[in-house]
Amino acid sequence: MAFKAIYQEHYRAILGTVSVLALIFLWELLLTFVIPLNPFFFTKPSLIAVAFQEQVIHGALWNDLAVSSRAFIWGFGLAILFGIPIGAVMGWRRRAEYTLDPFLTALYASPLVALAPLIIVVFGVGLFAKAMLVFLLSVFPFIFNTFAGVRSTDRLLINVVRSFGGHEKDLYLKVIFPSSLPYIVAGARIALGRGLVGIIVGEFYAASEGIGFAISRFGDTYKLPEMFAGILVLMIAAVALTEGMRKLEDILAPWRASQESR
Amino acid sequence: MNRLVNFYHDREHYLLGWGFILILLLAWEAIPRVAVLPRGLSLFFTTPTRVIEAFYQLIVENKIQHHFYVSSVEFLLGLALAIAVGLPLGLITGRSRTIDALVDSYVTVLNATPRLIFLPLFILWFGIGMWSKVMIVFIGAVFPLLINTHEGVKNIDRVLVDVVRSFGANEWQVLKTVALPNSVPYIVVGLRLAIGRAVLGVVVGEFFGASEGLGYMIASAATNYKVDVVFVGVAIFMGLSLILTMLVKNIETRLSRWRPEEIKTF
Repeated sequence: MAFKAIYQEHYRAILGTVSVLALIFLWELLLTFVIPLNPFFFTKPSLIAVAFQEQVIHGALWNDLAVSSRAFIWGFGLAILFGIPIGAVMGWRRRAEYTLDPFLTALYASPLVALAPLIIVVFGVGLFAKAMLVFLLSVFPFIFNTFAGVRSTDRLLINVVRSFGGHEKDLYLKVIFPSSLPYIVAGARIALGRGLVGIIVGEFYAASEGIGFAISRFGDTYKLPEMFAGILVLMIAAVALTEGMRKLEDILAPWRASQESR
Repeated sequence: MNRLVNFYHDREHYLLGWGFILILLLAWEAIPRVAVLPRGLSLFFTTPTRVIEAFYQLIVENKIQHHFYVSSVEFLLGLALAIAVGLPLGLITGRSRTIDALVDSYVTVLNATPRLIFLPLFILWFGIGMWSKVMIVFIGAVFPLLINTHEGVKNIDRVLVDVVRSFGANEWQVLKTVALPNSVPYIVVGLRLAIGRAVLGVVVGEFFGASEGLGYMIASAATNYKVDVVFVGVAIFMGLSLILTMLVKNIETRLSRWRPEEIKTF
């Protein structure tokens, strides 16, 4: 009885853990006893664990991670720096919206990643090209979410600030920014995913270091356990960042928890 | 004069929007004519007219048709597979709490990870031919479809399900008569997101270890400094994404007029 109650309460966590463990065990057992393992084609969890230990805990992959993060932070930072003001102006000035909206929407809807080869040919394989790619992909969610956030600002609040003699600055800092913050954070989560795409494509395409480069190099040299370890690291990082962003979103705007567009 | 002002005011929205795009294109076209570009930069510079010329040339010489065909096949196959897998899985996880709990962790993790990271693995498994690209398109597009279908089924009115149930419907009939039709608006949103991911998959998949397709055309043109050909490829992808997005967007507004306007998400 007690067991059943506990199960009812935590069934999601229990079943989730069970299914992950079951997959790992099945994978390991199948490739150990049933299917002969072809190391150039596939690998198994125990080998991945060894590679993971070697790459992550003993630090062979740290340098690659640091290189990727630096490019990512630069690109993402620039996206914030440009995206939020552009979005704010678009949301606040009707003519700015009319002027910029079709152009930016077209860019947002199109796969700008197609420009990657050109950017890399022009700017080289270093930090700059990758940061540029991240910027190009992640700036649009900031623009459009800030835009939506500013537009949804309560007119009443604005009128209150105005009637009490608040300056334009007060309007921006005390009303518009706080009320669009949840939107901006939601945009940041989308931008995050797109930025990661930028980093990976940049590093697959042409790089000499970085996590994407490491994964594709492991693939080229048939080091499958190492490759899976690299993928695992990237997955952990992506999940941590996304979930962190989601938590932030819940803190800033608990009433809009978990909207569409994941 | 007054008529002109009125004309402007009535159509300000379009005039400003399209005018801005036009001005940007004209400025782009004008740069090399008014300024002398340094040697290094002019190598990477092209103008809209040269891009159009290159496009025309490629079509006349029949150089682009095959690439276009290959990319379309990869896109359509991958997307079809994603629909065939994502839709039923979304329906099932939406209806069954147990199955949802079993697969949820995989869906969350894979959805957060940029699936392009599997490209080297897929090239290893499926070769450098078409199938590694189909698979990367598939894995990119399947999650938005799955998650949105799931969300749609989750949000069905309980009363509707109970009514169908009390008239003796089995699970299959519940799915068919209530769950699927009611989640169509969600599925369409998922489809729009999936199309974006699918195009991304095609482009990036063809950048690496491919010998045909529009992505390959872009990548090889870039390494040969044929900037106008790069832009032809980019313009095609842009045009197709816009057309597809608008198409789905139209269906979406038709299906969900009652919903509040939502933020743009591509």
